Amino acid sequence: MNASLIVLELAVVLLGLVVLVLDWFTPAQDRRTLGYGAALGIGVVLLYSFFAFDGRDPLYAFGNAYVLDGLALWFKRFFLIAALLVLIMATEFSNRFETGQSEFFALTLFALAGMMFAASANDFMLLFVSLELITVTFYVLVSFLRRRVDSLEAGVKYLILGALSSGFLVYGIALVFGAAGTMNFNELADKLTNNAALSHKSLLTTGVLLVLVGLGFKMAAVPFQIWAPDVYQGSPTPTTAFLSVGSKAAGVVLLMRLLGTAIPDLAFTLERLLMVMAGATIFYGSLCAIPQRNLKRLLGYSSIASAGYLLLGFAVMNRAGSSAILYYLAGYLFTVLAAFTVIAVVVQQAGEEDISALAGLSQRSPLLASSLTLAMVSLAGIPPLAGFFGKFLLLKAVIAEGIRWHAYYWLFAVAVVGVLISLYYYFNVIRAIYWSKGATDLTPIAVSLPTKFVLGVCIVGMFWLGLNPDGALEMAVEAVKVLKLAS
Amino acid sequence: MEPTLSPAGYAALTILLLPLAAAVIALVCPRRDPESTANRSIGAIALGFVLSLGLFAFTGDKPQEANFNWLSVGDLHVAFGLLLDPLSKLMLLIVTGVGLMIHIYSRGYLHGDRSYSRYFASLSLFTFSMLGIVLANNLFMMFVFWELVGVSSYLLIGFWFEKGSAADAAKKAFLTNRVGDFGFILGIILTWAALGSVNFTELAGSVELGGRLADKAAGFSVLAEPLGKIFNSTGWWIIHPNVLVTLVGLLLFMGAMGKSAQFPLHVWLPDAMEGPTPVSALIHAATMVAAGVFMLCRIFFLLNIPGSHALEFIAWIGGFTALLAALMALQQNDIKRILAYSTLSQLGYMVMAVGLHAPGPAMFHLTTHAAFKALLFLGAGSVIYACHHEQDIWKMGGLRETMPRTWWTFRWGTLALCGVWPFAGFFSKDAILASALEHNNIPLFVLGVFVAGLTTFYMSRLVLVAFCGQARSESAGHAHESPGVMTWPLVVLAVPTLLAGAWGIDAYIAKALPSEHPPHDGGFVDNLFAPFNHNILAAVFGLLAVVAGYKLARALYANAASDPLPGKIGFLANLARDRFYFDELYGWFISVTQETLAKVADWMDRWIIAGLLVRGTHGTTELVGRVLRLAQTGSLQTYAFLFAAGVVLVLAWQLVLNSPAH
Repeated sequence: MNASLIVLELAVVLLGLVVLVLDWFTPAQDRRTLGYGAALGIGVVLLYSFFAFDGRDPLYAFGNAYVLDGLALWFKRFFLIAALLVLIMATEFSNRFETGQSEFFALTLFALAGMMFAASANDFMLLFVSLELITVTFYVLVSFLRRRVDSLEAGVKYLILGALSSGFLVYGIALVFGAAGTMNFNELADKLTNNAALSHKSLLTTGVLLVLVGLGFKMAAVPFQIWAPDVYQGSPTPTTAFLSVGSKAAGVVLLMRLLGTAIPDLAFTLERLLMVMAGATIFYGSLCAIPQRNLKRLLGYSSIASAGYLLLGFAVMNRAGSSAILYYLAGYLFTVLAAFTVIAVVVQQAGEEDISALAGLSQRSPLLASSLTLAMVSLAGIPPLAGFFGKFLLLKAVIAEGIRWHAYYWLFAVAVVGVLISLYYYFNVIRAIYWSKGATDLTPIAVSLPTKFVLGVCIVGMFWLGLNPDGALEMAVEAVKVLKLAS
Repeated sequence: MEPTLSPAGYAALTILLLPLAAAVIALVCPRRDPESTANRSIGAIALGFVLSLGLFAFTGDKPQEANFNWLSVGDLHVAFGLLLDPLSKLMLLIVTGVGLMIHIYSRGYLHGDRSYSRYFASLSLFTFSMLGIVLANNLFMMFVFWELVGVSSYLLIGFWFEKGSAADAAKKAFLTNRVGDFGFILGIILTWAALGSVNFTELAGSVELGGRLADKAAGFSVLAEPLGKIFNSTGWWIIHPNVLVTLVGLLLFMGAMGKSAQFPLHVWLPDAMEGPTPVSALIHAATMVAAGVFMLCRIFFLLNIPGSHALEFIAWIGGFTALLAALMALQQNDIKRILAYSTLSQLGYMVMAVGLHAPGPAMFHLTTHAAFKALLFLGAGSVIYACHHEQDIWKMGGLRETMPRTWWTFRWGTLALCGVWPFAGFFSKDAILASALEHNNIPLFVLGVFVAGLTTFYMSRLVLVAFCGQARSESAGHAHESPGVMTWPLVVLAVPTLLAGAWGIDAYIAKALPSEHPPHDGGFVDNLFAPFNHNILAAVFGLLAVVAGYKLARALYANAASDPLPGKIGFLANLARDRFYFDELYGWFISVTQETLAKVADWMDRWIIAGLLVRGTHGTTELVGRVLRLAQTGSLQTYAFLFAAGVVLVLAWQLVLNSPAH
């Protein structure tokens, strides 16, 4: 029992409460400062995480339900960076919230706390609780523009489908407990190793699969992706950004723990399922994105495709794949946040979310235009940006497995075709920025300093990860060492 | 690899990165204040020059290296590394010193141009790239900067891109260089395959080791075997290591051929004069074209591996280029084009010197040439500026009276180029002629002397027509001296033009490039007479050629109203004027091969790729996309149903289809 391990989470929750309390004493026009203050606070927590923990040896708390190791720490920092940038974006966006700016900041912080707990989950109970903390806060965040019908609609859809998936998840947990008699990941792994018969129990497999359903929902993987485009489109843009980065990554880390810590001996039986899911997700996301004209919906499909690429790393079920997943996520963080930051500004200016709103952006604001271009190029996976290296590592991991089983070559081919298709719609966006005719409104867009900061961080991140992959890759390799996977 | 940097390493890194910073700042906030952009660029290079002087003065002759690991793919380790040895330190001085003068001069020359800051941004980018070539400690990094030089020179030649001819010239320069660079990268790859490294120090080490192990061709004999097997299995031929070594040498030389404009890739340089004159001075006289020669000196040990015959070829290409370009220069009327051909010709000398196992004299000539040719170009720019952008020498005349400062500096530059004692050019050219004699290569010696005569002839023609006699046009009559910001760089450059020959530069170079007869630095006065003591034959023949060339030019062009030469040699003069029809030949060749290829490619593209593949695929993909999207109805009931169906599907897949065998 070592409660001091959750100091980072506690700090974030406390920060959220402080924001709520200060809200009473802050006049309406000054509430933006609360957002910046919250972002600053997260920055402090982020810095503190480097001093407080090194993650070299796993530390356990709460009866082994909570683990603090390299992987958990990596993901906590990931979530902190994401939340920091999202909070700045949200503060810039906040004049669109008719009521309750501070609530938005506080809820974002609570969701962050959930994600950070998820990064440390070592027990099905904590897995479920942290996931619910994320999901429940997101129900509110999605429908935060309460006067707008599509925001409410998105909220309701997310609520009902989310509840459905939570139902499956909790049912799955119950089945696992019923079959194995434990909730703890390590104990489950031990039981599976010592008791070969257990791994053939359909009850256990069913339970694991239902947990997979719940996590697949979070990641927006086929066939549980159906909610993503509608919710992405309807939500306020900062929520969409946080949803696509934070929520997805929470699903990723939990799936990683599930496969790598809880059921390493059983995981290989899921290989084929994961391969099919990966291929289908890539195809679904890429293909559906093609006819899209709505920017946020487009990114929704792109996010589905990204979930597919992440699943490639799970399908190969080894360390190389897992470290590639982390690398991809890191690049994805900067890329997607850059894209959503630009979209938030543009949508605010134009009042519509159609691609045509980007017309003339290169003249209206070269910074926004080049940021969005870089983001699209990175998403498309073109060197020297971060997205390229992430995809490269994932595909490399897949092709390395091809020697063992030739089906991986087919998976590789599917992924490459997906990349090719994605070039089409990503470059459609770039074309709209630079070469669309008939741009009527050419008034310059003023970009505020905090937005410039966010974009600057994202651009530097994209280039840094793309040009100097060694350091970040080493961190990713270190982080996944705790997983019981083939190297 | 942890970067370990000595103070000298930091200084070198600063020299390299300052111009880049200036370029990036100019790029990020353009148009804010053109003047400050210019000042930043000038400041960057000035600081670089000061630091280079410091490096030159205070660091020993021992080579220093600094490495940052940049890329590791399999066995290939590419470091971002800096190499500081006498060779690179000398080159640093040339690039920053001459570059500084040209930067300052540009401030006056381009004053009031619409794209003033773009000019300085490109100039700084170019300086950065050039310094990168100089400081690179491995072939790959050199290649990267090599290409950057290509890009930035493209930007600078095409600076006035509204002018069709400038845009075309930029394209031509870029594409011609690409041909050479293709060979260069192939050479680099083969070198890496044979010797397992791209680092100069390591390469030199393995070549030396090969020499000691009696494996003359070093790693190349190891590479030749598998390569030979590939070819042998198809029944072509067996590759002898010597053939491979020669081939690699020639491929690497191709890079120099492009950058240093050697025959047959020389065609881009004269056209590149479409750029602003300071650019011609910087890029096409002092630095970029020198990069090829510098590279040859850097990798000289690779060309000099026993068994390689690359050097002989290089010597003849150089000699031929020198002759050809000098002949072409005889009948040009554009002041900048005359200088351009003379640059070609002098580069030919340098390449010839490398081919004659004399990289030292080549670098020596490169150094002095950088100073006096930059001076000549800047002087020409001053003339052009004064004559309201008139470049035809037959429309000038009498400028010695109206532009005194330009006149005497230009005259000094001419004397140096012709090789008149005691100007700098005499010493370096003499060293090259002497090395031809030492290798008993009489044909090349005769060629060199003949070209020296030709050089004097066409340069005297230029001076006599443009500066002496009477003004032949209104603009020349009204010309007056250029502003101080333009003439002072001329004065500064005139100093090394006169003195650099006896400064002991050749002895300094010899520390990096050991030669058979290392020149020694015996003090200024001693150096002044060294050529006559060293090899009197070369010195005397060189001076005789100068006298002959000058006499002939004086007889023909003193107070001439038009060029008498076509009347006297007719056909040959036309041939020289029209540059031996190389451009036409290349144009014809390209139109035959490329047009045909383009037509085939166009047909393929139109019908197979665009028609069948793209439209077909696009149509199918788009259709699938639309069909899939039908599932995305927006109805919550449907979504919930699909979700549940998905769950059933996953369970069924795993439990029924893929259940373990029992």
